[in-house]
Amino acid sequence: MTDQQWQTLLAVIRGEQQRPMPTGFIIDSPWLPNWAGHTILDYLASDRIWFEANMKALNTFPKTTFLPGFWSEFGMCTEPSAFGTVSTFEENAFPFAKKLLRTIEAADDLEKPNPRTDGLLPLVVKRLQHWQPEIEKAGHRIRFAVARGPLNVATFLMGTTEFLMALKTDAERTHRLLALTTDYLVEWIAYQRECFPTIDGILVLDDIVGFVGEKDFLEFGLPYLKRVFAADVAVKFFHNDAPCKICAPHLPKAGINLLNFGIQHTLNDMKTWTGNKIALLGNIPPRDVLAQGTPDQVRDAVTTLLNGLNDRSRLILSCGGGIPPGVSTQNIETFIATVEKLTA
Amino acid sequence: MQDLKPLYDAVLNGDAKSAKTVTEQALSAGIDPMKLVQDYMMPAMGEVGRRFECNEYFVPELLLSARAMKAALEPLRPLLEARSLQPAGRVVIGTVKGDLHDIGKNLVAAMLEGGGFEVIDLGVSVTPDQFVAAVKKQNPQILALSALLTTTMPSMKETVDALKQAGIREQVKVLVGGAPITQRYADEIGADGYGESASSATGLAKRVLA
Repeated sequence: MTDQQWQTLLAVIRGEQQRPMPTGFIIDSPWLPNWAGHTILDYLASDRIWFEANMKALNTFPKTTFLPGFWSEFGMCTEPSAFGTVSTFEENAFPFAKKLLRTIEAADDLEKPNPRTDGLLPLVVKRLQHWQPEIEKAGHRIRFAVARGPLNVATFLMGTTEFLMALKTDAERTHRLLALTTDYLVEWIAYQRECFPTIDGILVLDDIVGFVGEKDFLEFGLPYLKRVFAADVAVKFFHNDAPCKICAPHLPKAGINLLNFGIQHTLNDMKTWTGNKIALLGNIPPRDVLAQGTPDQVRDAVTTLLNGLNDRSRLILSCGGGIPPGVSTQNIETFIATVEKLTA
Repeated sequence: MQDLKPLYDAVLNGDAKSAKTVTEQALSAGIDPMKLVQDYMMPAMGEVGRRFECNEYFVPELLLSARAMKAALEPLRPLLEARSLQPAGRVVIGTVKGDLHDIGKNLVAAMLEGGGFEVIDLGVSVTPDQFVAAVKKQNPQILALSALLTTTMPSMKETVDALKQAGIREQVKVLVGGAPITQRYADEIGADGYGESASSATGLAKRVLA
């Protein structure tokens, strides 16, 4: 992210209206490798391909902000890998981690990993360290520490069905597991900040909070999100593209000030539910419109979105969730140009 | 006459132990197994679905109720089979290749079982060839495909194409569902039905077979 983009982001979070309105997209291995002409495995395996693909996106779309910016990742394998999960990498499929725990009782034997040495985490850091000079030479800085959230990591370890049932049938052990994943993530985020002093933001991705009711969110979600977001950074960015209505009013209590969510909800509704305390990133349909639609359909969707906004403050226009596979250059250019034209 | 509301309550409240105990007691008292399924268990799952649609129940509650339903069905199954009672249909279900998420699939499987369907669960990350083999072997009326990731959705189309290539597409109704799935996508890939939520699964399955 350039310094100007970072300042714009901070201004949006403060509630200062921008003309034109800013656009931004979360980009990572589901979209970027194939768009840049590579397989997902080549992108993950080659630091050079990773860097050049990110630069290609930045140079092709200079008027938008990509978040978190130069995301060093191994898909959903990254955080669970430190616990010893088996990661599966196919040539051009999204990598995934196999479950480690058969029961919640088995979580009693888990030990907290060391993010400096365990799993894929050191490789994540090394990639960024090797390319940091080139990233900065290109006018960008590493601004975000990134991690999957504590509930998400718990489900990678034991399965989503099993975790959500354990939450009801064995609350004590579920809390112990969440305390462990949270402690680990707090250290992982702190280590990223230690390695890259330019980091002044945290991005946490956790869809699992969207599957539970309010009582369960307040007990099993909010306390752990609060701890993960407790660091003293300017931007506390949360991604959840499962249903968000239940957790939305409580997210400001976790310190979150930027939210990317799914298309189940409108920007207007999300503003109301969060008390307009959180800047929002969204929200045209990612697959049906941005990926599968024509440029005219993208234009229409953006126009409709803008015309329907009650309040243009604290907004970064985007699609719901991250950019999905298959989004064309033309559709992204149309999105950006339409926002620019209609909000200048 | 035995009060059977505790069975309804046990399924509704996700109490698997009570659901099984009450069912066993009812069977010992000579209650017709079909009465237990049709008058108590299925209405309870219907109420579970209604509460889910109204944001009173969420995924954990659904999972517990589904588990309670399954526990209650366990002592009933041999009796229902012995009476040669035909299930509403046979469903083969699985999460598509590359996708390890099973929550949607598990919920749909439970709802379909509660709705009187025979469900054969292939598990997660099922390849198109495995689906084709299962359709050939099990001869289901319905093939239900689940995906939770946009990156694994293409496997749904590959599975439909594999059925066509194997010459068996016409013998089975394909239903699709999962968080990134839309009606538009279902139409694009030639699916016979799209389920927006687990609670709508039974109704959808019955409609496509009607």
